[in-house]
Amino acid sequence: MEATAIHALLQSRFGDAVLDYVDSFEKGSLVAAGRVGEIAAFLRDDAALGFESLMSLAGLDWDGYDTAGKGKSVDILGYDELGRPEASDRVGDGDLGVAYALYSHRHGHKHTLFVRVPRAAPQVASVAAVWATAAWHEREAWDLVGIRFAGHPDLKRILLDEEWVGHPLRKDYVMPGSWQGVPLDGRDYAACKWDEAGVTLPDDVKKPDDPQQPGNGNQG
Amino acid sequence: MSETATGRGWGAQDVRRELHSELLEINMGPQHPATHGVLRLLVHTDGEIVQGVTAHIGYLHRCAEKIAEGCDWRQWMVYTDRFDYLAPINMNFGYAVAVERMLGVKVPERAEHIRVICAELQRIASHLIAIGTFGLDMGAWTPLLYCFREREEILNILERISGGRMLYNYFDIGGLRYDAYEGFERDVLDFVNIMEQKIPEYDTLLSYNKIFIERTADVGVIDVATCHAYGCTGPVLRGAGVPFDCRKDDPYSIYDRFEFDIPYGEGEQGTVGDCWDRYMVRMREMYESCRIIRQAVDALPGGPVKAEELKKLVKVPQGSLYTRTESSKGEIGYHIFADGGSKPFRTKVRSPSFSNLHVIEKVGPGMMLSDLVATIGSLDIVLGEIDR
Repeated sequence: MEATAIHALLQSRFGDAVLDYVDSFEKGSLVAAGRVGEIAAFLRDDAALGFESLMSLAGLDWDGYDTAGKGKSVDILGYDELGRPEASDRVGDGDLGVAYALYSHRHGHKHTLFVRVPRAAPQVASVAAVWATAAWHEREAWDLVGIRFAGHPDLKRILLDEEWVGHPLRKDYVMPGSWQGVPLDGRDYAACKWDEAGVTLPDDVKKPDDPQQPGNGNQG
Repeated sequence: MSETATGRGWGAQDVRRELHSELLEINMGPQHPATHGVLRLLVHTDGEIVQGVTAHIGYLHRCAEKIAEGCDWRQWMVYTDRFDYLAPINMNFGYAVAVERMLGVKVPERAEHIRVICAELQRIASHLIAIGTFGLDMGAWTPLLYCFREREEILNILERISGGRMLYNYFDIGGLRYDAYEGFERDVLDFVNIMEQKIPEYDTLLSYNKIFIERTADVGVIDVATCHAYGCTGPVLRGAGVPFDCRKDDPYSIYDRFEFDIPYGEGEQGTVGDCWDRYMVRMREMYESCRIIRQAVDALPGGPVKAEELKKLVKVPQGSLYTRTESSKGEIGYHIFADGGSKPFRTKVRSPSFSNLHVIEKVGPGMMLSDLVATIGSLDIVLGEIDR
């Protein structure tokens, strides 16, 4: 079935919940975040559609994609010259989103579902009950992008540690200076202060790979 | 006496009622030979019977998708190597095809042929590891050594062509980084000639070994519906009896020009979709790869190996595309979102082992602990691409 026909079928069935036809390199439909679950069930169970396979589920941060123009999306934050994580007070304002790449083994056609949710309330209906594989992919999207999936059986981090702060694939993500007492920016471990409040990183310590730093094995 | 969870003999459950035993929680990994990498499985067992499996992944997470936001399109190729470090060429291939489709670039004929040859050599190398380590899991030491012998030849060829022994970074957007060396075709044909004779040797060593069949036939059966629901692809899906292969069913590169068959599980030694079927699919795929390599070497034309119209700094037009190719483990998909700039806006990597491992939580409960090891081995997971 052609993507336009699939889109029309979805529109006739779900009306307002199907927002727009997406005509990119891949063809698909932009749908309402709250109703993805039922749309997914329809896509899988309808005889003419038969999307029994969810190939991929990608969490996205659209920040900078639309507004900044072509190729001008916001640069990611990295490290400054001293190797410290770049500080930034920039707060992203773009939408978050999810893209579902679907394939039907029976009919051999593809379709991509897109969802956009406001950054302030990134909540999408879970499709884990429709395609079991989504359970892990949704955990990954929560872990890395910070999208909540309503109705997910066990939404927790999957790749990062449970106690990790923040969602790294957001465009305004700032790398922490340390994690559980371990400095992440290449500074001298021994110069850190440890107390009940956690670890304090001194600013004036040079990087370990600085040849002037004693005890570095670089002298002479 | 009632049947047990596995339906094999006398009742663990009856004993449990009398003894008031409780479930035992076992940590398998992160450092464990049977988990094929840094994977931690939390297994709940009732005696020898597995009642629940929870997979904990992420130990090898290297933020590849975040790094992509800071690299230009060509630079990220080197990170794709690190996903499946047993089949980096297949990972390169998927990313190259994905970006080329969005750019609309035509890759030169010579480059396409060398790509296919390298990808199929790599598939054989990866399957050799899968087969060898699977034998190891089942207590067969020797086949691994035989497998490494042949794999070594492949690594030598790939080292000569790319300069790298394990991580090649050989493919480039729009072609290859450099041309094949002189005598490449001869080396490849020499290898294929030997390889085709060696496969029957593995069959006698391992495939039809009575003990091996006992350990793998009827064990860890994954049916088609489960495969589709859990997104299992590659030898896992084909082992379940579905002759689905992206090289045929979603063609990319020049695979539509070659004649080859898609092996699939038929339940020869037991049930369709058991460990033996998955194993045998890999064994037979090596034959098919040899067939493809022969045809590709025969048809290898001269000419450039890079699309000349591409500039150094590639800019992909705004839009998104999900592209999948067939790696040795299954369907490697790159869902790429481009904003029109010189860096990928977002690249989601859908790795085959990620989905193939997930299914263990579904099929694990009810089997013996030793069968769990067999099932994991037969899935042929690589943690590098699960954790990315």
